[in-house]
Amino acid sequence: MTHELTSAIAKSFGLFYLLALSIGITVYAFWPSLGKRFDKAANSILDDEDGPCR
Amino acid sequence: MMQRLTGAERQLALIISVLTLLSGLAMAAAGRADPLGIHGWIVVLFAGAVFLLTLGSIYDPEPREDRAVSYYDDPTKVGLILALGWAVVGMGMGVWVAAQLAWPDLRFDAAWSSFGRIRPVHTSGVIFGFGGNALIATSFHVMQRTSRARLAGHVSPWFVLLGFNLFCIIAASGYLMGVTQSKEYAEPEWYADIWLVIVWVVYFVLYIRTLARRNEPHIYVANWYYLAFILVVAVLHIVNNLAVPASLTGAKSYSAFSGVQDAMTQWWYGHNAVAFFLTAGFLGMLYYFLPKRAERPIYSYRLSILSFWGITFFYIWAGSHHLHYTALPQWVQTLGMTFSVMLLVPSWASAGNALMTLNGAWHKVRDDATLRFMMVAAVFYGLSTFEGSFMAVRAVNSLSHYTDWTVGHVHAGAMGWVALISFGSIYAVVPLLWQRETMYSWKLVEWHFWLALSGTVIYVFAMWNSGITQGLMWRTYTESGTLAYSFTDTLVAMHPYYVARAVGGALFLTGAVLALFNVVMTIRHAPEKRPERDYPTSSEATEPAVPAAE
Amino acid sequence: MLRKLVSPFARLFEFQARTHYRAERHSMALTIGIILAAGVGGFVEIAPLFTIDETVEEAPDMRLYTPLEQAGRDIYIREGCYACHSQMIRTLQDEVDRYGPYSLAVESKYDHPMLWGSKRTGPDLARVGEKYSDDWQVQHLIDPRAVVPESVMPQYAFLLNAELDTENLPDRLAALRAVGVPYTDEQIENASADARGQAMPETDGADGLVERFGDETNVRFFDGRRDRVTEMDALVAYLQILGGLTDLPAETQPAREE
Repeated sequence: MTHELTSAIAKSFGLFYLLALSIGITVYAFWPSLGKRFDKAANSILDDEDGPCR
Repeated sequence: MMQRLTGAERQLALIISVLTLLSGLAMAAAGRADPLGIHGWIVVLFAGAVFLLTLGSIYDPEPREDRAVSYYDDPTKVGLILALGWAVVGMGMGVWVAAQLAWPDLRFDAAWSSFGRIRPVHTSGVIFGFGGNALIATSFHVMQRTSRARLAGHVSPWFVLLGFNLFCIIAASGYLMGVTQSKEYAEPEWYADIWLVIVWVVYFVLYIRTLARRNEPHIYVANWYYLAFILVVAVLHIVNNLAVPASLTGAKSYSAFSGVQDAMTQWWYGHNAVAFFLTAGFLGMLYYFLPKRAERPIYSYRLSILSFWGITFFYIWAGSHHLHYTALPQWVQTLGMTFSVMLLVPSWASAGNALMTLNGAWHKVRDDATLRFMMVAAVFYGLSTFEGSFMAVRAVNSLSHYTDWTVGHVHAGAMGWVALISFGSIYAVVPLLWQRETMYSWKLVEWHFWLALSGTVIYVFAMWNSGITQGLMWRTYTESGTLAYSFTDTLVAMHPYYVARAVGGALFLTGAVLALFNVVMTIRHAPEKRPERDYPTSSEATEPAVPAAE
Repeated sequence: MLRKLVSPFARLFEFQARTHYRAERHSMALTIGIILAAGVGGFVEIAPLFTIDETVEEAPDMRLYTPLEQAGRDIYIREGCYACHSQMIRTLQDEVDRYGPYSLAVESKYDHPMLWGSKRTGPDLARVGEKYSDDWQVQHLIDPRAVVPESVMPQYAFLLNAELDTENLPDRLAALRAVGVPYTDEQIENASADARGQAMPETDGADGLVERFGDETNVRFFDGRRDRVTEMDALVAYLQILGGLTDLPAETQPAREE
């Protein structure tokens, strides 16, 4: 494990990893058909919460 | 409280307390006069108290109620009281250390009362004692409500809560005796660190098992933040605390890392303690309690997902901005600076999301001090993350580093964001948990709000002024090219700001005392109100529920 | 237009988005996601530091802390001095003018842990060694405001009456060797005697210390007391060696001409 190798991995792989991750997350978050489920999730905490569902 | 545990659970609790007591005795025997020995006796006392408490009700009848129909809130309740207790202790210590910088003789003529020893009592007291207990307690509350399932276990939540508080007691008492690793915000020695790992693993398992029981298809975003808090803090804690004890009969240990590697590891830890302890966990609180209190869903759930992954990914790189212009290689400094600036995007997305949620509910913010606590917390979150990204820029950092500006920045985050969101959440959840109509006194909540806000503002402005003044004085040259001010010149210039800081802190502390009083009075005197219960849940989830794990 | 461009990949994205959704319905998958997102940053940043050659310079004359100095360092940590004093001179002109040549990574090579600090309520101490006399340091620690009236430093008079515990020093040096400080067996075995010897000039202990740690070692009555070795001795011995472990910074950074 030389320093060149580790820093090269850090500088190239790290960048692609960052790009892939951010694209992936953005696609997921804005995928149209998932919108309804997100709304449902956002509203779920406002529903009654006095006891656990059995 | 023991009545809600089954006989088998009480026996388990008894066994755990005996095992803890025995390890305390072993520590006491091995350590003798060393602080390790004294800590052994503290463990014995703590475990002994739990043992006696459990033993007293070991033959009580089995619980008759069907436990699955209600949430298990006893650990949450105790956790909230502990959080407020630690708040008063930790902030009290904070005011004292602040006063010592203004009036250095304001202490006892004893080693334990010096600034260097009580300052970590303040930092650990507020971060771990107050913040940690608030996080653990609210996470128990939130994970059950969002999952619509009871906690997965009745002994493990107590183990997590009490075990964590034992860690805090060991930490705080250790500092007074001079037991410290000197790693900021990771001062406790090796045995306390090992204990915290055990507690934390149980916490993680409890969280995952409760989520596995959930009756909602989707894991609500607040849980993501709590989960990131638990997970990443575990990794940070283990790596940064790797050390070799000088002997098994003493407290002293030496870090596995040295010099520049140690500096990077420490600030990778230090900054991510800010990220995942003081930000992610409290964002979990924000994403649950703010929409709940405002009775409006979060403005954009999509944005909350984006900012979650943004924070998780960016923060971890940012630590090296603590080491600008030092012997750390420059590329690491640049990396840290870049990511710190990028971090502004997900941070402001979160703050903006919270504030936009309140759009249309501003009349509630005006009338309800509890919601106002949360609103101002979101504002301070936005402000201090902006300030943080700004200070991570090398040129700014050359002025701000080593000065009170950093201290002011931390407190804008800690007082304005972390403490205010915690107080807001506590005021929101206390009447619900103890089944009271409202808090004992809404006027006291209002007083607390203004005391906390004015205290924070005074504190932060004093530190901005002193930090920038001192930074500029250090780098001022005379016309002949020599340094214009000696170090003591700058120290004299700090005095009025140090006095102002102590005043601001005292106002904030007063607010915390009011909060503790108000909560205790709510429990004792506020009129009862039982919420109507209806089963099963009225969730509109159309998808089939994930089958419970058990 | 965009829609058209993206449409061939829609399936791929659809698959990705749905996988994520499924993933987050399972808490363990979420857990792994968090570890992947958060773990890489720390790894990428820290791992190369351990392999990098340039991170730590070569300093052939770099010397180790003597047992007494290490004991002093432990007291410095115990009292939390690092909370107010940094030991890291940054590469900025005013800091170099005020405190001396900027700090090099090699200087804290044997510092487990490092004490770079984060706040200067008091001045930087990276090069405070031999800047003041032993007597000044002792008087200043006993009552800082007697020496510097404006100081806000706590008093440490009790150190002068606290006898130094030298029994544990062999263990401590051994632990330091375990984490990478190259102490020899001899240095570890004789750590207790060497610690006392350093504060007791012209004794056998002092001779043994010099034999094991070199002629350059400071051997003095640091606290001025000749009867016993105190924690004050240790702390002052440590303060007086700060910045003196290697000459490399002074050699590579010639002082600016006035």
